[in-house]
Amino acid sequence: MIRMRKIVTLLLMVLVLALPAAVMAEPADPVQNKQLIFDEAGLLDFSEYERLSTLANELGAERETDIMILTTDNPENQDVRRYTQDFYDEQAPGYDKPHGNTVILTMDMRNREVDLIGFYKAMEYLDDSRLDQIRSTITPDLSEGNYADAFETYIREAHRYLDIDPNENRDSGNGTGYSSNPGTGNGNYSGGSNSNVNPDNILFNVWFQLGISAAIGAAVVGFMAYRSGGRVTVNGRTYEDQSTSSVVDRRDQYLRTTVTKTKIPKNNGGSGGGGGTTRGGHSHSGSRGSF
Amino acid sequence: MPVIEYKCPNCGSSMNFDSTSGMLSCPSCGRQDNIETIQDPLTQQVFTEDEAKEYQCTSCGAVLITDSQTSATNCSFCGSAVVLGDRISGKLAPAQVIPFAISKQEAETAFQKWCRKGLLTPRGFMTADRIKSITGMYVPFWLYDLHNRVEVHARATKVRTYTRGDYRYTETQHYDVYRKIRLNYVKLPVDAAKKMDDELMDKLEPFPYEELKGFKTPYLAGYIAEKYSYDERELLPRAKDKISGYIDSYIASTVSGYTSVSYSGKQIDTTMKQADYVLLPVWMVYYDFKDKEHTFAMNGQTGKVVGKPPISKAKVAAWFTGIAGVSFFSLKLVSWSMGGGFW
Repeated sequence: MIRMRKIVTLLLMVLVLALPAAVMAEPADPVQNKQLIFDEAGLLDFSEYERLSTLANELGAERETDIMILTTDNPENQDVRRYTQDFYDEQAPGYDKPHGNTVILTMDMRNREVDLIGFYKAMEYLDDSRLDQIRSTITPDLSEGNYADAFETYIREAHRYLDIDPNENRDSGNGTGYSSNPGTGNGNYSGGSNSNVNPDNILFNVWFQLGISAAIGAAVVGFMAYRSGGRVTVNGRTYEDQSTSSVVDRRDQYLRTTVTKTKIPKNNGGSGGGGGTTRGGHSHSGSRGSF
Repeated sequence: MPVIEYKCPNCGSSMNFDSTSGMLSCPSCGRQDNIETIQDPLTQQVFTEDEAKEYQCTSCGAVLITDSQTSATNCSFCGSAVVLGDRISGKLAPAQVIPFAISKQEAETAFQKWCRKGLLTPRGFMTADRIKSITGMYVPFWLYDLHNRVEVHARATKVRTYTRGDYRYTETQHYDVYRKIRLNYVKLPVDAAKKMDDELMDKLEPFPYEELKGFKTPYLAGYIAEKYSYDERELLPRAKDKISGYIDSYIASTVSGYTSVSYSGKQIDTTMKQADYVLLPVWMVYYDFKDKEHTFAMNGQTGKVVGKPPISKAKVAAWFTGIAGVSFFSLKLVSWSMGGGFW
């Protein structure tokens, strides 16, 4: 009994001590309050906005990148890419500094176009092909109007890709690998745009790996079982009388040639993605398309 | 009298074929006779068709109990090696024989060694010394010389792809291919004993044909021998079946350099040039394991063992887990080295 009471007291003490710390921790972090979602088109209700904003702040901080969402009804009928670039030039967002690491998803509700662009770290880690992947993942949700779901997917996917270095072959478990000189200046990240590591590669899928391993195991063991009874070690050569066997007559007559031609499908399917440079001189990666 | 026995001229014991020296030897006094030089009693005797089908051991007089296929055996009463002369003479006379090169002891040790090598064989099977019986047997085979004339017609294509502008072009060249091939096979063995499992016997090959000797009955002394159950005509289809795969791969080797080949006509005309009746040495091992008898065969010259050993479920599971685990780990490493992360 005495022991029980001791444990209960200890637990209570821990609780009492931990509570104020937890409460104090909330307002202590200024990053939490950063506005990352500019929902001018009003696609999100308040609770959705709150949830996504918290998520974007949290996950963005982990990757030292601002994960932003813009929505607009586009009253001036601007090009969505230009709209996003101008937003970046004017608002100067960035996790590390103004005009810093940022990835922006822009929804042009007038022309039903979506544009994803990444600056600096996001340009390196979220290159054109990765942005294409994210866009193709969320486009069905966008088309159906599940904006909150699509935005959440975008935030989580951006968070995931921002952890996987496109250049170096190394374990992603040891952190973001972005500790060296965040934001060393304009255009320093251009080397990242030629990455071809696709995190959705089927080779990286655990179930695929398990399946392949099981198949290899089964094949090898099956082969062993098959071989256990002894195997045939003779072939046609064994009994062939090579001195008298030969090709007596042969003919290879050309008949005709047929040619078929197919059009090579264009990349990006005409969605006009790819990176570019803002009027303010910030280069970026990008992927745009309609939904 | 169709029963032939080899009595040692020195001591009167029954003599046996000795696989180590290749001589007819006497286990009692050690006398060794060269088989090539002693007279084969078969050549002196002529049997008539209606001779009594009951055989009596010339040593003890007991009635020999044999299968209708057996041509050499041991007397079940006194153990003397006897050869049933009328079952290996006339039409049934083998042309050649490959004598045993592996003795019974060697066969036993070799078999036990082979058992231990089995990766999936249950541990109990490896160590249990349960050879129920091991029998040296001359199995009748037909050695076929087959001449084949092959004519094939085929349509073949060569495909080339290239891109020009926005288009990918696939250029297919069509060819009419014809081959006329003369393909001869010599000494293709086909087992002629009804008792023997064909698959098992096929796996025993190859037999070293340089060891083929002119047939003499003393080679059979001390072993079991069978006479053929099927003659060379009856087994010809099986021989043809055996070479059809060989012929196909030969044809394919002559039609090379094409992207695709589809055969429109294939004519194979096989003629049997010769078929020799030979006896080939096989050790039959009967092994008791967990109330089941397992049969194995060993090539009496090369020592190659064939037959289905029991398979241990535990070992299968262990190997499967091990191999799948290593593959999984390697795949993880590959994905990691490609930059995909370890998990």
